[in-house]
Amino acid sequence: MKIARKTYKVEVPSVAMGDIAFNLLIFFVILAKAQDDTHLNWTPAETTKIESAGASRVSVLIDNNSKLYLNGQQIGISQLAGEVKQLLGDSPAGDRTVLMKVHRDAQAMLFEPVIEAVSEAGGDLVHILEKQQSD
Amino acid sequence: MKSRRSSNLLIEPPSCATGDIAFNLIVFFLVCASVAPDSGRKQQLPRSEETPQKKEQKSQNVEVALTRTTATINGDPVRTREFLPRLRTLLANKQRPEDRVVVVKSRNDTPYDFWITVTGLIEDAGGTVTIQREEERTITVGP
Repeated sequence: MKIARKTYKVEVPSVAMGDIAFNLLIFFVILAKAQDDTHLNWTPAETTKIESAGASRVSVLIDNNSKLYLNGQQIGISQLAGEVKQLLGDSPAGDRTVLMKVHRDAQAMLFEPVIEAVSEAGGDLVHILEKQQSD
Repeated sequence: MKSRRSSNLLIEPPSCATGDIAFNLIVFFLVCASVAPDSGRKQQLPRSEETPQKKEQKSQNVEVALTRTTATINGDPVRTREFLPRLRTLLANKQRPEDRVVVVKSRNDTPYDFWITVTGLIEDAGGTVTIQREEERTITVGP
């Protein structure tokens, strides 16, 4: 007599599928962030009064190696005004914010032309600063 | 005789998803930290232009010159702590916005940190910052 072998039903565990999908979603949302400059090294200057910068689609950064970046991509000062103007397009006043992130030790010969370029492009400049700790 | 069976079974909460939950929490707080809203100081920048009238006006405005560590008002060296009262005194009699323009001339090696401190003091004193670069182009900055 032949004894039939007992078969077990094996399934791939699907408990964590929701979590995996959620993680993938977050991952792609971070990647899709257009102006990601979190990989750049800079230290903000300090000031006593700060306010919220609000939403912005343009970010200009001078890092601790005195390199200039527009929305996380390295750029030359001569191209900056044109690129900022293009990014701002026909946005109305109040929606033309340009975040300026400058390393605290950057020199005037670097950041003043940047301010001039943003001015030429018609941007509303917001200096990104850190609140000074009271003594 | 009636035997009484105990039904107090040890029930443990399911812990198979604890690792996933912890991982999700880490990701959530990392994302929150990376998208924290920026804060700083707003400045309005009218387009730079140069007119003869502005050149004439410039000579009547307060001039602040910055080097790496020092600041001067109309050529007189001023300490940072004395800067605000001194500038307030100079701007006290000036009512028109165009008279309250303060021309800031920075040497090439002036650090951003110092520039931000001084321009912040000018705005606190009620002045309107105008940057003058070495090639004589001016940019008006201020409220």
